[in-house]
Amino acid sequence: MVARKSVRKPKPRKAARKTKPAKKISKAKARKYPAKGPETSPDTNKAMRLTFSYDGDDVKLLSKQRTDMILPPSDVVKGYGKYKGFWAEVRNGSDKTLYRTVMHNPTKNDAEVFPESPDGDISREPAPKRKGVFVVLVPEIDNGEDVILCRSGSKTRGPASGIHSLAGEPAKEILRLKLKK
Amino acid sequence: MGTSDGQVLGVTRIVEGGPPEQRWNIVIVSEGYRSDEMAQFATDAKQFADTLLAAAPFDRLRAAINIYRVDVTSTDSGAKDPKKCNGTGAKPRTFFDASFCSNGIRRLLIANNGRVTKVVGKLVPQWHMAFLAVNSPISGGSGGPVATFSKATGAVEIAIHEMGHTAFGLADEYEYYSGCASDKGHDKHSKSEPSQPNITTNKNRATTKWSSLIQAATPVPTTSNANCKNCDPQPSPVAVGTIGLFEGADYFHCGVYRPEFDCRMRNINRPFCAVCQQVIVKKLTPFLPA
Repeated sequence: MVARKSVRKPKPRKAARKTKPAKKISKAKARKYPAKGPETSPDTNKAMRLTFSYDGDDVKLLSKQRTDMILPPSDVVKGYGKYKGFWAEVRNGSDKTLYRTVMHNPTKNDAEVFPESPDGDISREPAPKRKGVFVVLVPEIDNGEDVILCRSGSKTRGPASGIHSLAGEPAKEILRLKLKK
Repeated sequence: MGTSDGQVLGVTRIVEGGPPEQRWNIVIVSEGYRSDEMAQFATDAKQFADTLLAAAPFDRLRAAINIYRVDVTSTDSGAKDPKKCNGTGAKPRTFFDASFCSNGIRRLLIANNGRVTKVVGKLVPQWHMAFLAVNSPISGGSGGPVATFSKATGAVEIAIHEMGHTAFGLADEYEYYSGCASDKGHDKHSKSEPSQPNITTNKNRATTKWSSLIQAATPVPTTSNANCKNCDPQPSPVAVGTIGLFEGADYFHCGVYRPEFDCRMRNINRPFCAVCQQVIVKKLTPFLPA
């Protein structure tokens, strides 16, 4: 058991957050407050569910499933070339990004460990033997050709070397497959 | 072990937002509930749905959301609790083989997620987010394609935090790895900009990711860590809810900033900060009825 005492220094938690009464919001109002960046909504209600397996750093496609459903808008599709992290993209035949979805790296080789009490601290532990599956949903855009997964490597030096969560380098393409084949 | 130790009974929509092709679909699946405990699962699933839909910003997005309950029985109650992690040694026979002590970490509760996604895919093909509710009072959970949680106090809050990662790509906002006092090599974040929308290395007021939400009177950076060898011990110098640039996030003490002093992506018993809420609203707006 990870029986950890709280090791963070105390911080003021008691001040209640100002909360406003819940109210329904319209699509039009929600669009007035977009997240920054040139996001675009997929112009289709056709989606592809891609299921991947991972074992260490190896990622393989397990299955594709077409589904009639709408997807959230794209994350930024320009200016992210030096970003670190993990994401999936749909690109056209000219390799232009049409849709991009940022993901919390599903192939991480460490794990979030939660406290016994909700007031305790979350922490992380290396979990080098993790393997499993993850799912990516992408829109079946008319001129979408390829699906690409990008991921930063792992930390190369220091006490926690080898851990994806701590990678500092920009993400690189790790897998490419045809969207419609 | 596995699918011979239970049965998929079926699916029930417990929150009705509209046609599944046009809504954001959440699925809650049972694990470690015997057939005579399915009424309890129905209660637990409803409680989960109520808690989720009471949390901002989901309280304002209810019309965009369907929530389904998938009833799966198991031969035995609970989840495996190996002795090697100081557990009880219990080895209940369950449909998805949920177990504590994954990778030797007692509270890391993991099941056969591939099996979960197959079951969910057959019953709710339009699913966006899946949860596995494990019938155990022991504290534990995990993220990934299926957010897994137990019945321990606060477990639902863990599940909502995990949904922040899985469904909305949000980063962790705590500034340490295993703990402030034990961290080594977590002093300074790399200069690379994180792809996640709720953390940044850019401290330029005009160009940082959430610049439009920072008031002119708010200092930027709003907090700076004077000693990067440790977490920043200072209390917030601004009012609760102020959006700015607070140093320390993404498992590093310095060089990376979060939008508010506190947030559900930093502490599980807090609400989502305004920037995380904005991301969620943006992602779910297309699912609202016209």
